[in-house]
Amino acid sequence: MAKHLHQLDFELKAETPTNFAADFQHYGVVGSGDMEVLFEHAELDGAVRVKVVTPVVGYDEVWRRVLERFVNETGIANASIEINDNNATPVVVSLRLRQALSELSNEGG
Amino acid sequence: MSRQWENLQSRSFLESRARKRALGLVDPGSFTELAGPRDRLTSPHLPVLGEAVEFDDGIVTGVGLISKRPIFLASQEGFFIGGAVGEVHGAKLANIIRLARESFDRMLAADPHLPEDKRPAVVISFDTGGVRLHEANAGLLAHAEVMDQFQDCKGKVPIIALIGGRVGCFGGMGFVAAAADAIIMSQFGRLGLTGPEVIEEELGKEEFDASDRALVYRTTGGRHKYIMGDCNALVDDSIAAFRTALKEILSKTYNEIAAMGCIGSLSKVETQLKWVNLCAKLSPKDAKDVWRYAGNEAPEDLVDMPLDLYLKSVKRLTDRCKENQDG
Repeated sequence: MAKHLHQLDFELKAETPTNFAADFQHYGVVGSGDMEVLFEHAELDGAVRVKVVTPVVGYDEVWRRVLERFVNETGIANASIEINDNNATPVVVSLRLRQALSELSNEGG
Repeated sequence: MSRQWENLQSRSFLESRARKRALGLVDPGSFTELAGPRDRLTSPHLPVLGEAVEFDDGIVTGVGLISKRPIFLASQEGFFIGGAVGEVHGAKLANIIRLARESFDRMLAADPHLPEDKRPAVVISFDTGGVRLHEANAGLLAHAEVMDQFQDCKGKVPIIALIGGRVGCFGGMGFVAAAADAIIMSQFGRLGLTGPEVIEEELGKEEFDASDRALVYRTTGGRHKYIMGDCNALVDDSIAAFRTALKEILSKTYNEIAAMGCIGSLSKVETQLKWVNLCAKLSPKDAKDVWRYAGNEAPEDLVDMPLDLYLKSVKRLTDRCKENQDG
């Protein structure tokens, strides 16, 4: 069977949503075991839309949990999140997503 | 923004990612990325092979300023497939150079007396192993297109190469860098055609032991390249140091910068051939034999010496050859 990249789509909503105020934010490099993320503002009624493109199969539920946790803990809302993944572990995914947001607040300061 | 730029300056060039290098090399807040991540120009070939893609295809391209000069900048990302050149990656590189030359033509048409310090320049931060094998034909073609653009820039736009990333600059991109007008390296930068692993695979461990890092660095690393005259400046491993050296070169006229290159005229080719003959005659067993010939009596000391001391005490083969020609 031919190999191809897999796309996962999620739509999530934080328990206590706070707006993603920036226009966009890009962070990370798709190295081995790493990923990049692109945040963009999107009017989604407080929801967050996530698209993950990855060579790995069978981890849909893990992705959902990691992303749910990120959305709930940061309260991010009205954002489209696109991830290009290259075998990043859940810990790395969590870390990169948070680094992207913290870099954004650094730039504002 | 400015504070963020300040923080970038002291950062290691080796450890910085391509986008940070680009931001830090040009004047604060002056960088505008073209064909950036939001344009999502990912490789059309990698998904078919089940390989991960990146929104910028492993290269950051854009325009910034250094003093009054518009800088057309490309910065390769060594962490994405070893900075290898695929179709999109190569197109971005070729086109940022084309854009520089077209801007030059337009600016000079509007003002034929435009001072040199306001004219466009191309800066390429190499961090690559050459062709991306997953899309080899497109990657090879991209190399040719970049070389074409280099040629079109002759007499117009100076091209400066920076090498200080983890991957170095190898394969076809080694040729491309050598065709630049000037090359700035750090001691962690490596430049060559065939990479150490490939030499070992082809000719055996006795010929070249790719796991011997000291050997690899004294054969392809910045300190060796500086002695050989393959790079024009050897700088500390910080974005600020690369920027300072870059500014110094860009303060020269086009003709002065073009004269720094290794190739580009018949007499330069003849000089290169003389060196090839010289090396054949010396038949060195190790880079250190060449260092000794260049006039360094204790070549071993040059390996670990602090950089400032190294730069003060090192004898370069380029100088030795000049002496020979004069004498």
